[in-house]
Amino acid sequence: MPGSKTGDKKTVLFLCKCSSNISNIVDFEEIKRWAGEKGDTNIAAVSNLLCAPDGKKFFSEVIKKKNVNNIIIAACSPKLHEKTFQDIAEKNNINMSRVRMANIREQCAWVTADKNEATEKAKSLINAAIKRSFLSEDLKRRTMKAYSDVLIIGGGIAGIETARTISKTGRKVYIVEKNITIGGSVMKTEDLAPSMECSPCLMAPILSDVRDDPNIEVLANAEITNILGFFGNFNVTIKEKPRYVEDNCIACEECFKVCPVSVKNEFHYSLGERKAIYTLFPGAVPASAVIDKNICKHFTDNSCDKCVSVCPFGSINFDQEEKTTAINAGSIVISTGFKPGDLAGFPELGHKSINDVYTTYELESLLSTNGPTGGKLKPDDEKIPASAAIIHCAGSMDSRGIPYCSSICCTHAVKAGEMLGKVYPAIRVFNIHNDLVFTDPEEHQFYKKQKAKGTTFIKCFDLSSIKITKTPDDEKIKISGYGFEPISVDIAVLATGFKPADDFKELAKIMDLALDKNGFFRPGHRILHTTASEQDGIYSAGCASKPVNAAAACTQAQAVAGDIMSRLIPGREIELEIFTSFIDEEKCAGCKMCIPACPFKSIYYDPERKISIINEALCRGCGTCTAACPSGSIFARHYTDNEINAEIEGILHG
Amino acid sequence: MADFKPKIVAFLCNWCSYEGADKAGGQKLNYYAGIKIIRVMCSGRVDPYFVLKAFREGADGVMVLGCHPGDCHYRKGNISALKRMRLLEKMIVQFGVERERFMLDWISAGESEKFQKTAEKMTSRILNLGPLKLEGYVKRKAAQ
Repeated sequence: MPGSKTGDKKTVLFLCKCSSNISNIVDFEEIKRWAGEKGDTNIAAVSNLLCAPDGKKFFSEVIKKKNVNNIIIAACSPKLHEKTFQDIAEKNNINMSRVRMANIREQCAWVTADKNEATEKAKSLINAAIKRSFLSEDLKRRTMKAYSDVLIIGGGIAGIETARTISKTGRKVYIVEKNITIGGSVMKTEDLAPSMECSPCLMAPILSDVRDDPNIEVLANAEITNILGFFGNFNVTIKEKPRYVEDNCIACEECFKVCPVSVKNEFHYSLGERKAIYTLFPGAVPASAVIDKNICKHFTDNSCDKCVSVCPFGSINFDQEEKTTAINAGSIVISTGFKPGDLAGFPELGHKSINDVYTTYELESLLSTNGPTGGKLKPDDEKIPASAAIIHCAGSMDSRGIPYCSSICCTHAVKAGEMLGKVYPAIRVFNIHNDLVFTDPEEHQFYKKQKAKGTTFIKCFDLSSIKITKTPDDEKIKISGYGFEPISVDIAVLATGFKPADDFKELAKIMDLALDKNGFFRPGHRILHTTASEQDGIYSAGCASKPVNAAAACTQAQAVAGDIMSRLIPGREIELEIFTSFIDEEKCAGCKMCIPACPFKSIYYDPERKISIINEALCRGCGTCTAACPSGSIFARHYTDNEINAEIEGILHG
Repeated sequence: MADFKPKIVAFLCNWCSYEGADKAGGQKLNYYAGIKIIRVMCSGRVDPYFVLKAFREGADGVMVLGCHPGDCHYRKGNISALKRMRLLEKMIVQFGVERERFMLDWISAGESEKFQKTAEKMTSRILNLGPLKLEGYVKRKAAQ
């Protein structure tokens, strides 16, 4: 074949029959004849199955023996095998950009019935690939140093499990917790459903582990104020609020006894009280107490310093200041937990207006021995409740509250009955529900057991019809709704759902992430990567991307840890995107049109040189900026204007 | 008109629509052979110039297919494409190219049948319109 038209490119055209998948529709003899006549390629080599071991050997031999430097493969989709052949080419010192595939199987042979039409289409697809290949420039594989340390936002069970798993590899892990100690929502209950495992017993050794782990640093009472960078190279700014108590505090609680100020304790859903100097629970990490500046009399009117005089360790320090820390980390994990659904929009359910109406969260807090009342529902009342009604979906599946099903509150509702039964063995329990959602066989078994114990499950087709009432003369609470006879009970429990935590919006803004329609973080992929976020290197675990129970939160945490550990290996550089765009500094007029076009904020303006610059470490190679540039100064590697134009010409004049 | 074999160029994004077209192939969902696909990483890479270039080089119809809004592999490249192509649709009419000769749509990686249907819809549209005829100044410039 004459090679005059091909310039310095020695081009080979591989034609793969794919057994007969392609060759029974596309006429290979005709393609060979046509290619010879066109003279753009120097060699045409036909293989029965190029991706099979024999085929790969043949491929390797041809490019080696014939000394080619430009390869066109007419075969299946490049999405299947372009990398296969690029890798072989690279082993033979041919740059990956010199391997192009023409998709004559999925987009030609398999979708065209007529032999002639398929052959003609194959010709134009091959022609486009050849024409474009003449303009390809070498691509460089680029790597970059990366931090292998990890920063975790939120120290609930998900954050803690991620930290513990990663720290075992010797990397530094930072847990940034908004609250004054880590532990999260799991610490607010006694039992975890459906196994009814004791939650504080489960958490106590885990919290000690974190405390004693030299690789885990806890920054509590702290929040994220800024995040810069990208996968492998994040720089996070953290604001640590002063505790006014030094680290040598062991939480002996002497100061609690003398502190004259009490307020409602938010950690226990405001059901109990705490002092102005307080901890959340015994055995907390960090252990030291915190002074609430807003109510402490030293700060409000400088009238008290009783805690100073009783502290055996001299830990009180009213002069502590806010601390700002900057941390470099390779990846970030969002494990900020959830917020219980509230019932403000549902006055008919009587929450907070009728005594003895609780949410499931409040009930389990009250029934927990580490809760505000030491495990008693009504510490001041000797009367034993004889009956309880538990309302499923309270405040959920309703536009006034949570519009979605949280999928774990049914188990929560069944657990409420189980917990009540433990404290009041003779109690009669009614669960009023519509849908019953259980996410695994154990949860369903838990429900069946509860039923067998005597709990009555009442189906109500429209839970929005439920009304909870009690007049001053009534001894009992009346519950009515469509489809069932009204019942009178001593206590009512509302199984509310799981809402996104309050700080999701702020965090999403700082990290440039999107929230889904329910307000949770959108996963990177709904099936393949539910713990990834839309930003490479930022992960989510626990209730950040959807409501999950503690077991699922731990599984997610370990999945996140595994993914991070496999991608960020200490001492190994990370590979960067190859098809990035770059700006011709001579041509750029500094119009800044490209800056808002970039979905990854990887373009910035240099005011000194009056040009835009692409940070190629952040660029993901979509080429949107290239299309936006009015002066043609941006080049998308491997997808340049010239290459695509050549492909357009090639495909139309094949 | 019976002999009219339209040339249709389709720009498909690597992550959704190109996968959708491949899947259509895997399921042997036939469509008109004159539809020829050019792969780009993102529909946002499609410079409106490429569409004009295709018409100039003899295409009778041009399609740009991307990921569904909200599903873009690059977060919002397809939204950039949407904005540009809406403007382009208005411009091509001024060049004497009927608006229907251009199509922007969203095909996910799983929507092989939608790809086939969209391809057939475009084919019948172009068959109805007949070959692209550029006239006057545009014709002279295109010939250069």
